[in-house]
This record gives sequence, C-alpha cells and structure tokens, in this order.
Amino acid sequence: MNIRPARVEDLAGMQAANLQNLPENYSMKFWLYHAMTWPQISFVAEDHKGRIVGYVLAKIDDQESSEDPVHGHVNSISVLRSFRRLGLANKLMLASQEAMRSVYKATYVTLHVRKSNKAALGLYRDSLGFKVDKVEEKYYADGEDAYSMRLTMTD
Amino acid sequence: MSKALANKKVLPSREAGLFKELLNLYEGRQLKKGLKTADTILKKFPEHGETICMKGLVLVHMGRREEGIDLVKKGVRLDLTSHIVWHVFGLIQKGEKNYEEALKSYSQALRFDKNINILRDAASLQTQLRSYESLVETRHTLLRLRPNLRQHWVGLSVAHYLNGNLKEAKVVLEKYLATLKNVPSHDVEQSETLLYYIHVLEELGEYTEALSLLDSHSRNRDIVDKTAISETRARLLTKLSSPEASEAWHTLLERNSDCHTYYLGYLASHGHPIPPSTPSHPDPDALALISSLTTEFPRARASKRLGLVLSEGDEFKSRAEEYIKGSLVKGIPSLFSDLKSLYTDNAKCTAIEEIVERLQVEFKDASSSPKGSEEPTTYLWTLYLLAQHHSALGRHSKALELLEEALAHTPTLPELHIFKGRVLKRAGDYWGAAACVNEARVLDGQDRFLNTKTGKYLLRAGCVKEAGDVFGLFTKKDAASPGVDLEDMQSMLYLLEEARAHETNGQPNLALKKYMAVKRIYNEIEDDQYDFHGYCLRKFNIMTYLRMLKWEDTVRSQAPYVTAAVNGANILVASYDDPEIVKSLAVAHEQLSSTSKKAAKKAKKKAAVAAAAAAKMGGLDGKTPQQHSNEDKGLEPPTAKDEDPEGLKALTGEGTPVLEQAWKLLQPLLEVGLEENVEVWLAVYDVAIRRGRYLQAVGALEKAKKAGGEEHPEVHVRVVDLKQRAATLSDLKEPVKSVLEEAIKKLYPVEVSPETFNSQYLQKHSQDPKAVIAAARASKILNAPVEEVDGTVFSLLNTDINLSVKVRSPSPPLFHLYFRSDVAMCTMYRTPWSP
Ligand SMILES: CC(C)(COP(=O)(O)OP(=O)(O)OC[C@H]1O[C@@H](n2cnc3c(N)ncnc32)[C@H](O)[C@@H]1OP(=O)(O)O)[C@@H](O)C(=O)NCCC(=O)NCCS
Repeated sequence: MNIRPARVEDLAGMQAANLQNLPENYSMKFWLYHAMTWPQISFVAEDHKGRIVGYVLAKIDDQESSEDPVHGHVNSISVLRSFRRLGLANKLMLASQEAMRSVYKATYVTLHVRKSNKAALGLYRDSLGFKVDKVEEKYYADGEDAYSMRLTMTD
Repeated sequence: MSKALANKKVLPSREAGLFKELLNLYEGRQLKKGLKTADTILKKFPEHGETICMKGLVLVHMGRREEGIDLVKKGVRLDLTSHIVWHVFGLIQKGEKNYEEALKSYSQALRFDKNINILRDAASLQTQLRSYESLVETRHTLLRLRPNLRQHWVGLSVAHYLNGNLKEAKVVLEKYLATLKNVPSHDVEQSETLLYYIHVLEELGEYTEALSLLDSHSRNRDIVDKTAISETRARLLTKLSSPEASEAWHTLLERNSDCHTYYLGYLASHGHPIPPSTPSHPDPDALALISSLTTEFPRARASKRLGLVLSEGDEFKSRAEEYIKGSLVKGIPSLFSDLKSLYTDNAKCTAIEEIVERLQVEFKDASSSPKGSEEPTTYLWTLYLLAQHHSALGRHSKALELLEEALAHTPTLPELHIFKGRVLKRAGDYWGAAACVNEARVLDGQDRFLNTKTGKYLLRAGCVKEAGDVFGLFTKKDAASPGVDLEDMQSMLYLLEEARAHETNGQPNLALKKYMAVKRIYNEIEDDQYDFHGYCLRKFNIMTYLRMLKWEDTVRSQAPYVTAAVNGANILVASYDDPEIVKSLAVAHEQLSSTSKKAAKKAKKKAAVAAAAAAKMGGLDGKTPQQHSNEDKGLEPPTAKDEDPEGLKALTGEGTPVLEQAWKLLQPLLEVGLEENVEVWLAVYDVAIRRGRYLQAVGALEKAKKAGGEEHPEVHVRVVDLKQRAATLSDLKEPVKSVLEEAIKKLYPVEVSPETFNSQYLQKHSQDPKAVIAAARASKILNAPVEEVDGTVFSLLNTDINLSVKVRSPSPPLFHLYFRSDVAMCTMYRTPWSP
C-alpha cells in the first residue's frame, strides 16, 4: 500500500472511487481544477498494482476578508470498502493537513459530514480531533443535515 | 487597401462611441442593452461589418444561435480586414470546439492587430492543438509586447519546453529569474516556478546544478513544498550516485513510511535494485536493511510486506505467518488481495496455503472454547481468507464450503456475502451471484460501495432494469433516471457494465449507445484542458500543468476508452456484415413500443433534462457559473435532442455510415502506445479491410500478429479472411497491389489452400476451445456448409477440454444435452436463448 501526493494521472481512479463510495460526485473538470490549483494537498492510497483504493481531495478556501486566516477544506474523502479500517483515511487526512499547513500556511481545516455517518465522524472527531462548528440543515441533496467541522492546526 | 474603402468601415464619432459601448455591454453580458445599441448603429450604418458581428455574437449568447451565426458570417464578409470580426468568428468556432477553424480565424485577426487578448486565446488554441512551434512564436510576441508581465516569461519558457527545446526553456527562465526583485519568502507561485526550473535542469542532465539550486532555495524557504523538495533531492542524489542518496530516501521514509516507492529507492541506493511488482526477489542483504526499517517504523505495513518479496524458504514462511496472523487478528478484509501477487511464485502460494490451514485449526480451537484466547472474528477472517485462496485457484466448491461455514458462524458480515457472490460469478452463476451481493447490500444500506457492487452484479446477470433501480437509491433524485445521473457524472463502470449487459441480452444497439457515451466523455475530458492553458500560467502551477498535457495526450489509452472503442467497432462491423441484425432489432422494438409509448416519452424527458444540465455546466469551480444576465446561454451549442434513443439509426448507418462511425472510434487508438493490445489491432483490421484501406488493414494485422502471436485464434481468423478477400480483389492499382501481395505473403507464407490451412490449424489446436471456435469461424468465412461449422463447434462438448468460452450458435438446445459436470454451477447455458 502506498500513500502519496495525488497526480493528474490518478484523477480517473479518484473519480471512480468517489463514484463507488459517495453520493456526491463530480465531473472530471472539477477534479482537474483541484489538481491544477492546489497540486500539493490532495493524496491517494494505491494498492500494489497501482490501483487507487482511497483518496482525499482538498482545497484552500477563498478568504472572505484579509483578516480571515488561510484555511483548507476537505472536499471529499473515501476508501474502497475492502481497504477500510487499515488506517488509510487517517493517514490521507494527516498528509493533506500537513501539506496545507506547510505549503499554504493554513491555520485550520474545515469539512462537512453527514450527521449519520458514524465511520467518518469517528475518523474526524475521535482520531483527528475535529470539532463540530455548526449544524447546516438540509445541506445534502437528499435533505440530510451536515455537521460543519473544524480542526485548528498549530505548529 | 484604398483609403475610401477603409473609411466606409470607419464610423463617425457618435457611432464609434456607441460601438465602444456595445463592446463594454458585451463584456458585462448586458445582452439586451447590447442588442439595442447594435441596432441603433445599424439603423444608420446597416452594412457595418463589426457591428453586425457583435450583434450576431450577442444573439448567440441570447440563445438565438442560428440567426446570430448567420449575422457573424455576414459581418465577416463585409469587413475582411477587421480584427474584431475575425475575433468574433473565432469565439463562435471555439464555442463549437472547432479548434482548428478557430485558430485560423484568430490568425486572421492577428494579421490586422496584435491584440493581447487575441494572442492569449491563440496560444491556448495552439496548445490545445499541440502546434508547439507556432505557440513559441505567439508567446514570443506576447513577451515582446508586455515584458513586465511575469506569466509571459514563464509562458515562453513552457512553450520552448513543450516544443522540445529544453535549452531555450532554461535560458528564458534564467533571464526571468534574474529580473525578479524582492520576491517575498514563502511565495507559493515562486516556489512552483523554481521547482519547474529544477525539473528543466534535471531533464537536461544537469544534476549537480539542479541539486545545489534545490538546496539553496529550500534553505531560504523559496521552495515551500516539502514533499517535492525531499523527493526531488532523493532522485537527484540517486542519479548522481551520491553516497548521500540513501540518507535522502530515509528522510522521505521518516516523512511517510507508508510509501512503497521510498523503500525501493532506499534499497536501490544501497545497491539493491528491486524490480517493481515481482513476487519474489530473494536478497538477504536487502532483507536485513528492510528488517531494520521495520523496527524503526513499526506501524508501517509496507516494509513488512516487502519482506515477503525479499525472502524465500523458511525465512519466508515465518515472515508470512507473522504477517498473516497479525492481519487476521486485526481483521483486515483486504488481506487476500494484498497477498495475491505473491501467488505467481508457486512455492510461496503453497506455503501460504499451509500457513492458513494451520491457522484455521488453531483459531477454531481458540475461538470455540468460551474462554478462548482469540476473538471469534479472527476465525471468521481466517475462513474468509482461505475461501479466497481456493477460489483464486479455481476450487469453487471448496471455497463455497468454507463460506457456508463462515456464514453459519456470522450471517451479518457483508464481506462474506460479497465474496460468495464473487465465487458464484466466477463459476458462471450470475443470478446467484447478484442475489448474494444484494444480501450484503441489505445488511448495510447506507454504504454506496455495496450498492454499486450489487448494481454491477445485476448487470452481469443481464438485469438492466433491476440494476437501475438499485443504482437509483444513490443517484440524484432530480435526474431523469439513475443512468442519466451516472452518465453525467462520467461513471465508466456503469456505462461499460450496462453496455456489456445489453450485448449479452442481444441488444447491440443499446450497447452501442453506451459505448458512444463513453466516447463523448473522453471528448469532454479532452476539451476540459482548454481553460487551463491560460489558468495554470497565471497560477504558476507549471509542473502539474505539464503533467496534465502529457496525460491528455494519451488519455484514450485508458482501459474504459479502449474497451468502448473496440467493442463499439465490433458491433458496428457485425451490423455491416449482416444488416439482418438491425432489421430484426427494429422489428422487436416496433412491437415493444406499439404496446407502450412510455419509453419514448421518457427518452424525451431525459433529453430535455440532459440539455438543461448541459447548459448549466462549465464554470471552473464545478458549480453553476455566475450568471451575469439571466438570459446568457453561452457560446457552446446546447446538447442536441437525442433523435436515436434506441441506437437503431446509428446501427443502420443513418447519418454516418457504420464503418465511418467505427473508424472514428478506433482512430484515436492508433498512436497512444497500444502496440501490445491484440484486440485493438484486430478491430482496426476489421474496419480497415471493409473500408477498402488494404494497406492499413494488413499493417494492423501484422501488429496483431506481433502482439498475439501467429497462432492466436483471432489472428488466425483474420489471416484466412484476408486470404479469402484478396482472391476477389482485381482492380487494385500499383503500388498498393504489389505492397499488399508482399504483405499477404508474409502473413500467409504457406502454399496450401485456405481450407487446408484452416483444418491444419484445427488439428494442431483441437484442445484449445478458443482455437476451435476460431477454426469454425474461419470455415464459415470460407463458406463451408452449416453442418460442418456446427460440427466443429460442438466438438468442444465431446472432449475434456476446458470450457471457458462463450458460444453463440443457432442450435442452442444442444448445450442442454451436453451439460458437463465442470460447468455444473454455471447458469449461463440454462438461459432461454436470446436471438
Ligand atoms: C470514512 C472512511 C473514509 C474511513 O476510512 P478508513 O480508511 O476505513 O478509516 P481509518 O482506517 O483510517 O480509520 C480511522 C478512524 O476512523 C474511525 N472509523 C473508521 N471506520 C469506522 C467505522 N466503521 N465505525 C466507527 N469508526 C470508524 C475510527 O476511529 C478509526 O480509528 P481506529 O481504526 O483506530 O479505531 C471510509 O469508511 C469510507 O470511505 N466511507 C465511505 C465514504 C465516506 O463516508 N466518506 C466520508 C465522507 S464525509
């Protein structure tokens, strides 16, 4: 198993994994846009045959004002079922957070998660130390609420 | 140009002011006001070409496309020397993705005005079209016009790089870097530019220089991407054979001890290069190095796994046992797929079987006693692993037996159901397989992964509708159907699996539609790069941009496109050879739709929604682009209504002849490095020979033979086919004729008749089912009587040969008679035969 920065050649595999794992999907241009804008902060996990089995897609959020500190946002993360509980998501997140911090000097990371997603909540809250910032009602297309979560990164 | 003529095109100052306003209104997409302003000018100067063009452009944005385009063309004719009219015309062509023509228009525009915006667009078009020589020229002009813009320097350097002129790329960059003053430290753009510079030096072989730049710039924090710094450093030191290399790889491992490639780099720097993806490479010294890394990074799996490659014999056995045991206790579901690549080494495969069987006994005892030392799940994962092991070796019943035991133990673990489904699928029972996977899905309804698997398995069983219903649990509710959403989201898995299902169900027309959808997605992906040609230079993200260009160059070699192109072409060729196929499909469809008009209605709605969705697309951030004015429809033509929802017109060649369609699918495959792929060259042969492109056909067949060997069954069929066709070609011109004759001699070197050639082939390969089928097909090509062809096919069922082929024959009932024990689980042959 390999954890490494995502490259353009990985995007098709990331897109396919996303489609298999999550209901929020994106066409290739969206994936390309991230790779062309923040090439250092998305990561993949690949198996020994070089197949993408997990990924994290991240971006740096627009600053609302110049006082608003630079911060990252996790757009999408997932791991193919047969490769779950190996610690891959945890490692992907840590790698991305480190890159956000060292390359862009991001001071915190945000993300959204379904209220009912136990596995993801376990990952963010228990393993990584994210805190619930607020609840966003009916955030998802099917009407489910989201927790907006945040992790402050310190040096 | 005479002055008088020129003046006719010059507006008096009032109207000139209005025209300027018109341009501004257009920029702000104030379309209605723009239209009004244009009309005001035209009232007085109805023949003013530039205004007419602008009016046309505005109309296109407002959705009055045809009318607008007519005006643009008229405007161009009225003022052939205006850069504005050509620019407008170029914009329209670019919107239609007609990059070649757009570039021509832009070049015209540039003859009359070296406008910065036009130059930039031209550069994007030249990059899109890979006209790198002209790109260099354009970038030169841009830099000359505005040398104070940083991106113009980098743009020129990148153009040289793409044009293969690394030296110039370097020179331009150096000049640029020398002009920079007061760059703040920790500047991401500067950091990416420097990484590009170092990459250019590396490609030029100037490793020492590259390294010292890397070191000094990372010390100053000019380069901020730590991963890139460490990776580049390790790579450069390795290329320099420096003793510091291993330390550099070690630094990388400290940053990320889960990266397999870093271990390989580390070992190579110690003089132990390990070939990638080998199951076995015994090397005690390398093993010792790895062992100490395992101690250093105890949490990393990568080094432990590598130990299994580097060891053999007893050493392997003890390492494998530790590795497997640890994983079972932890309950790692992916264990088998992790181990599987070791199986190409027979000794390792046997050793693993021994180990797991021993563990099975051990864990059974340990988990059955109430105070057992192991969790009961450990035993469960052991059964699971063992079942996977046997299934991979083709022992389906043994695998099922183990799974039944595991399921009796714990019926709620989805993995067990999924794998049972997989075993049944491998054994040919597609319905049973789908049912099992569905059990897993029901156990965890929130997990889309299980949902996707179930849909896929249903499609394998040919159940298209049921699959759609399952997929629909996770697709967008506002999509016209689950399939429409999956297609919009570019799911290759869905498109290819559904196409395959339609093929099995005897509906090649519907399959072709899905293959064509895959083709469309690849067109989109190629178009996607356009906006980034300018964007990435502005962002200075050069390395990732260069990678993207390279990736796009060969994106059609990706498996989904190859499959779609080859299968699609095969369908088209079959319908060309036998027009009856389409006729009977059309009749069947008529009967169906006369009873229900629903399908047509649905398709209509589908098309409308697709058009609406397409109109919403665009906008770099993937969201709906900001609408400057609610009536802006953009420059891209709306998706046309699907006039052929059943794909029957395509299959009859209405519109575009079938062979032309097939050729368009295959053409992009010719130069993307697929020399090893037999299927591709066979398909190219099939299409080329029917299009009368004989030299292309024999060229393709030669490649197929090289890739697959001359005894390859499908190659054999084509050689016979070629010989047969060549006999009827009389009116060929020189030099084609003699070149073709030469080529045929090479492909068919024997003196015997095709019939004898074929029966010799059959005799030689009578134990190989694929070869037997090939011989039958060849004799059909040679017009042998049906009984003879059938006889050859059914000889398959008399012998002990391994039945791993799919057969379609007009005499299906025979298969029921010849039901054999080794395919006892296979339900495929029990289906009522479809046409
Ligand atoms: C959420 C997901 C990415 C986790 O991936 P993973 O590689 O299995 O996660 P890890 O192995 O790194 O687990 C890290 C931690 O997350 C938590 N966690 C992971 N899966 C869990 C589960 N099923 N139940 C409870 N907690 C879980 C645990 O705290 C775990 O730490 P532990 O193993 O030490 O107990 C994966 O389950 C997934 O892809 N799910 C579907 C897609 C999805 O929901 N993505 C998140 C969208 S916001």
